[in-house]
Amino acid sequence: MHETELWITRLFNDHLAGAGNTLTGIVGMAPEARPWANFVTMQLVVALIIIVLFAILKPRLSVDRPGKLQHTFELAYGFLHEQAEEQVGHEGHHYLAFFGTIFFFILFCNLIGVVPGFEAPTMVPSVPAGVAIASFCYYNIAGVQANGFLKYLAHFAGPMPALAILMIPIELVSHLARPLSLTIRLFANMYAGEQVTMVFLKLTFLFVPAIFMGLHVFVSFLQAYIFMLLTMMYVAGAVAHEH
Amino acid sequence: MTKKMLWKMMLLVALMMIAGPALFGQTKDQPFAGGHWVSISAGFSMAIASGMCGLAQAKAVAAAAEGMARNPGAAAAIRFALLLGLVLIESLALYTLVIIFVKVG
Repeated sequence: MHETELWITRLFNDHLAGAGNTLTGIVGMAPEARPWANFVTMQLVVALIIIVLFAILKPRLSVDRPGKLQHTFELAYGFLHEQAEEQVGHEGHHYLAFFGTIFFFILFCNLIGVVPGFEAPTMVPSVPAGVAIASFCYYNIAGVQANGFLKYLAHFAGPMPALAILMIPIELVSHLARPLSLTIRLFANMYAGEQVTMVFLKLTFLFVPAIFMGLHVFVSFLQAYIFMLLTMMYVAGAVAHEH
Repeated sequence: MTKKMLWKMMLLVALMMIAGPALFGQTKDQPFAGGHWVSISAGFSMAIASGMCGLAQAKAVAAAAEGMARNPGAAAAIRFALLLGLVLIESLALYTLVIIFVKVG
């Protein structure tokens, strides 16, 4: 089901096809005529937007006369910090950078789909899968860093050593199911939101699709928050022992 | 055996009788001939998943509303638990949708 190209992807494919083939060649994929996919260029656009936003914010930060942008970001930071402290505990702020990145990246990826001429990269399964794998690696690494490698593996055995034979496969399966569920939840929500809007666009016009698009915006915020919240809970579970 | 259980068993037997030729009625020439059953079962499975998800979310919302009414001071914590529960239940219905997209089209 090959999607039509956006104008940005067409620009990339017309002028930067060689660079795209080099990049895919690094992982061993064969070169093709138009290597840039929609979701790749959209992710680059989102990353650029986030970088520009924070680059505009940084020089405007001031203790005495905060502006509107600083107030907005102080609200966002306060919210994220409070959530991290509530979920992970006192050391939550160490991991806040990753949580905040995940939240803003997924949020902007979801919201850019509402803008005409752009497409949400989280609509293809690869992008949520990438962020979920990053989350999975992050919480395991955080657990190993906090507890030591052997102690971290030991907590897979459960509370009592006698239960270890039962607990280890259950814990393994549940841990492996986490990136899967994160991926499918985000992908299915975004994909279903867009499909529903398209269906109503075919059936009627102007106001009814706009209502569903509004619902899609609300779901975008909610799904970004839930992804971040679940990552926080997994990190909390991984670093929780004997601290 | 009650009458209700008897009806349910008869329904099950009837379904199995229909499913047999549909699933296994392939000759050597045709490949998997149950093609159009995929669409029908996709529709039914999504309906069942959405229905049960609706029931589960209704229970969650009812419990949350009652909790917030009894204890308005705990409203923030209850709202948080409600939102988390709703999203996790929603994702169960969406897993069915993903299977449908994989199988149909």
